[in-house]
Amino acid sequence: MVSMKKKIIVNSIVGLIVIGIFGWLAISLNSGTKNTSQNAQKSTKTDDWQRIKRDKQITIGLDDTFVPMGFRDKNGKIIGFDVDLANAAFKSMGITVKWQPIDWSMKETELNTGNIDAIWNGYTKTAARAKQVAFSDTYHQATQVLVTLKKNNINQFSDMQGKVLGDQTASSGDETFNEHPKVLKQYVKDQKVIGYDTFDKAFTDLNAGRIDGLLIDEDYARYYVAHQANPKNYTVTVGGFAVDQTAVGFRKSDVKLRQAVNDTLTKFKKDGRMTQIEKKWFSN
Amino acid sequence: MNYFLEIAPNLLAGLKMTLGVFFLTIIGSVPLGIIVSLGMKSEYFTVRWLINGYIWIMRGTPLLLQLIFVYYGLGMMGITFPRFEAAVIAFIINYAAYLAEIFRGGLQSVPRGQYDAARVLGFTRTQTFFKIVLPQVIKIVVPSFGNEVINLVKDTSLVYVIGLGDILRAGNIAASRDVTLVPYLLVGLIYLLMTAIVTVLLRRSEKRLNIWR
Repeated sequence: MVSMKKKIIVNSIVGLIVIGIFGWLAISLNSGTKNTSQNAQKSTKTDDWQRIKRDKQITIGLDDTFVPMGFRDKNGKIIGFDVDLANAAFKSMGITVKWQPIDWSMKETELNTGNIDAIWNGYTKTAARAKQVAFSDTYHQATQVLVTLKKNNINQFSDMQGKVLGDQTASSGDETFNEHPKVLKQYVKDQKVIGYDTFDKAFTDLNAGRIDGLLIDEDYARYYVAHQANPKNYTVTVGGFAVDQTAVGFRKSDVKLRQAVNDTLTKFKKDGRMTQIEKKWFSN
Repeated sequence: MNYFLEIAPNLLAGLKMTLGVFFLTIIGSVPLGIIVSLGMKSEYFTVRWLINGYIWIMRGTPLLLQLIFVYYGLGMMGITFPRFEAAVIAFIINYAAYLAEIFRGGLQSVPRGQYDAARVLGFTRTQTFFKIVLPQVIKIVVPSFGNEVINLVKDTSLVYVIGLGDILRAGNIAASRDVTLVPYLLVGLIYLLMTAIVTVLLRRSEKRLNIWR
């Protein structure tokens, strides 16, 4: 049996340690949230461009299931339109790209905690995202389209009246869908959309008849329809959604990095390298 | 079959990640679980409260949230771990909580009288624990321990949320690239193979331990 005195001493020591840890947690959590809100304001304070140039390496986050923008071939190599473009762009600056696979719903957190230096993966400009990241110039445009089975005879958005719609969770298409309810949302069943984590699963459900339509970026639509057993079975409907501007996402503080990428993208557009890469990935 | 050979290298690369998380978690969480389960019987009420709070949090929140917290949350507070290390830490502290409860059950099933007998025979407390109590506890907890181990095999797939490429993610990539469900089927078979191996190993150890029952 332990003496009463010893008990009191140990209990109070452990108690103090616990209180200390909680206090420290509360303080650092508090300052942590302050830092992120301050980051937006003191923009030029911490520019990582010097580090990137010195290390000759930049880490770019991508969802490696995003065909045809960035994905893995059968040998496990990361390939795609964005991958070619980013590799070429940074190569011309003497920087190698380290591709870091991330979970797409965590992309802004990854960027703002400094785990990655850029999001370059079919990343669409939206108002909500613009609050957290700084976008480069637009380098690619695409719109959200509706993919349906031909036999269901859905040829315009209003044909989706009372039908079930699917899309990708946390995608820009999902955001657009909710921001402009008049375009498509007012028609679909219960004004709700079924969210999938990847489009291949959504296509499986479309084929099985559990959803009637799939809201998807036209680049992905083309790829996935082309890879279905019978591409002729599908209707791709372009409706009233605005054209999405695809750009690269940076931390707001990385002004110089953004400028360098913008300059390179402009150069690529002028000398035809952009068209070359576009042809390679989108001409089917 | 051809397709399987084509994607096998990628799946195996993912399998390496899965196995890495699996083994490191086992190695880390078993000793931690034993320490925690002993702490639950501590004579100091603050220690008991602390440990009960820890177990409550670990069992009361999804492992997925804990992963996000360890990697992104702590990262925001200035404690940054690399991805793999963060995953292993989150898994170890989570599984240690579950294992501690299992070990506690084992400890409680050793009758009080054995402790008294050991003391009469002149065993120290350490000797009593390692020579008398622990061997019996191990035997008792093997079946429920095995349950957790098999759960762990499958839980490793949660590491996708911090961008680690485990076998399920490798299957995901192949499925979205080739627009087919076949990769998932293969991934499922590999998980089954892993759990089969674990099951056989646990059965064997159970049999061996039964010798002195």
